[in-house]
Amino acid sequence: MIHVPAPDPFTVFGLPRTLDVDEKALEARYLRLSRECHPDLHRSADTGDCVAVLQRSAEINDAWKILRDPWQRARALMELLSPGVLDRNKKLDPAFLGEALELAEEVAFADQTAAGNLRVRLQAAITLDWTAVGKALGAGDFDAAAMCFHASHYHRKALQDLDRKS
Amino acid sequence: MTTNSAASPTGPRLVIGIDLGTTNSLAAIRAGKGTRVLRDRDGEPLIPSVVCFHPDGRTLVGRAAKALRLEYPTRTVFSVKRLIGRSAREVAAETTVLPYQVVAGERGLARVQIGERQLSPEAISALVLQEVKATAEKALGQPVRHAVVTVPAWFDDAQRQATKDAAALAGLDCLRILNEPTAAALAYGIDGSKDGTVLVYDLGGGTFDVSILRIDDGVFRVLSTAGDTHLGGDDFDDLVAQRIFAALPASQAPGQAADQANDPYVLQAVRSAAEGLKIRLSEATSAELQLDLNGTGDRGTVRLTITRAEFEAAISPLVQRTLDCVQRAIKDAGLRLDEIDEVVLVGGSTRVPMVRARIEALTGKPPQTSVDPDLAVALGASIQADVLAGNDRSLLLLDVIPLSLGIETLGGAVQKLILRNSTIPTSVTEEFSTGVDNQTAVDLAIYQGERELAADCRLLGNFKLRGIPPMPAGLPRIAVTFLVDADGVLRVTAREQRTGAEAGIQIVPSFGLSRDEVKRMMLESIEFAQQDYLAREAIEVRNKAAAMVRGTEKAMQMAELPPDQTYPVQKALKALGKLMAANAETAVLKAACEDLTKVTSSIADDVISSAVTKALREEQQR
Repeated sequence: MIHVPAPDPFTVFGLPRTLDVDEKALEARYLRLSRECHPDLHRSADTGDCVAVLQRSAEINDAWKILRDPWQRARALMELLSPGVLDRNKKLDPAFLGEALELAEEVAFADQTAAGNLRVRLQAAITLDWTAVGKALGAGDFDAAAMCFHASHYHRKALQDLDRKS
Repeated sequence: MTTNSAASPTGPRLVIGIDLGTTNSLAAIRAGKGTRVLRDRDGEPLIPSVVCFHPDGRTLVGRAAKALRLEYPTRTVFSVKRLIGRSAREVAAETTVLPYQVVAGERGLARVQIGERQLSPEAISALVLQEVKATAEKALGQPVRHAVVTVPAWFDDAQRQATKDAAALAGLDCLRILNEPTAAALAYGIDGSKDGTVLVYDLGGGTFDVSILRIDDGVFRVLSTAGDTHLGGDDFDDLVAQRIFAALPASQAPGQAADQANDPYVLQAVRSAAEGLKIRLSEATSAELQLDLNGTGDRGTVRLTITRAEFEAAISPLVQRTLDCVQRAIKDAGLRLDEIDEVVLVGGSTRVPMVRARIEALTGKPPQTSVDPDLAVALGASIQADVLAGNDRSLLLLDVIPLSLGIETLGGAVQKLILRNSTIPTSVTEEFSTGVDNQTAVDLAIYQGERELAADCRLLGNFKLRGIPPMPAGLPRIAVTFLVDADGVLRVTAREQRTGAEAGIQIVPSFGLSRDEVKRMMLESIEFAQQDYLAREAIEVRNKAAAMVRGTEKAMQMAELPPDQTYPVQKALKALGKLMAANAETAVLKAACEDLTKVTSSIADDVISSAVTKALREEQQR
């Protein structure tokens, strides 16, 4: 089974292909597009139109889901700019993988105080990852961006596990 | 524009909102900027969701049916919403004991057994909807064809489809199945000054829902929803009922427990008493019950006092379950508790003081009381109805699907295609291929639920992709699009990518009614309507005949006429009396009544006819 990509979210929203977006403006745009295309407000249209409206409305909702989440947005952007780039750069530095394992262990055994410190550290690491991805994309180095993206996955997962624990 | 049409909605269609509740149902309408509930002649908005199949052949709905629940416990159906779209096995696994009989019908689906007849929950819900429709039509003075019908947010696809089918059986075109907490939020936020994040806590008779919404300038966006389709006021009643059963006189106590459980009269009497106690405990700190069970046999009496503290201790675990759902919904919305701006309580069970106190303690916010918890859902449904009718374009509702949708993969695991709390409409396209050379069909099993294994999720249906062009294995590329529409109902389309051929999809629903069944039942409902009409007519004719016999006899005595003159009347009177004693058919009885009328008027004696008229009038007024 292969996933078939829907129209890319940037096109659906009519946005330039950039990593950073103004979140407030993005939300306002989502609400405006929804008003324009929601089937509830286009019920009198004939049947052919109804299906098109339904499809367009689904595209807007699905694009919004991706765009509002920074890391999902980053993934979509990379695939768009260089298809297959994430799959090609899955191999990570063994040293980094060792670190990631240690991190997972730290999360598993963290008590309340340790968890607080760890959370701050992880959030800082994720911010750094984000900047690195942005920089690499700006320089047109998609492979480097993809590697930063994959590396960040371990930080994000650790943070998620930490939150789930509390 | 006439005054008349200004008073009613002026859109292309008249669409009402219906809250089809476990305990009560009602309708509302939005006209212009005002919403109002549609009341019956007595000004009562709530129609009990109760149907009584009277032994005399009549079908009674609403208050008339509820009044008969003690007299005919096995023929009076309530809480049918708990059965709709579910299998008999699922229903049997529940703790609630129903005085009427639930059996497994076709494909194991829950059916209600009334005498010889087996009825689907859809057909029974349709009777309730018909009553709501009739009440609305009377209140509006015009026929109603379209409606928005609400369901618990946590209803799955089968339960939603079954509710839609019930509406169709009732002669209603259901424009939307709307989630109850979402509807309540619409009623709450309609005045336009309520932008912010709202938590709707909806504890009804049989279901619990919590939804978190963001209101932004007329756009109502559901962020998350969670709930429990089998937790509600009925469960509180059950806990009180257990106390009453424990207090039953010795001859009725344990050991005979099986007998009690099998005694529909006792079951129904205890249930009603439990509900009454619960309601009184919302006002008072203790309530006393004296229950006489000698209605139709020697069963003794029960005396019992229950304090609010005892009641609260009993329901506490259930209330905690609702709070766990609230926390899950907040987490799913990606929010913290302190980011909730308002808490709106809906559903009759939120009148229980402990429920209010616990939700307030959790959220740190006093609950909103600006909407009536009994009416909010119907009012909200009428607002969405107005939008769908095309009358209001300033408002938009963005709802979510409550449960993830996935397909079964090799080994019985479920691969999620659409995650819960995804805003609808939403769609996903996956590509499939064949495993065998020249394979022309592929089977897909669609599941709904959050668990990883298919066995733990609910089978929504089997989809068979047919008409795949014969090709070597793995070569066909079939793109299957799963689209959840604004009703939350799944639509599946498929296309073979190489040839462009549309693959036909055959849907076999695992729950609910097949399309053919719905068609058949619609025909049957017309037939039953005929039966119901005939039963009512028979009773009316019989009553009329009895009144005529009594009236004429009285008149004959008063008029004191010579026998030869009254002979034809006496003869007709005798004939009618004989037919009544023999339980003659309605048509025959009707003819005999007409004969009697003819002869009484043919003797044309003013004295008699006036006496007859007078006496008849007296009789009929009795």
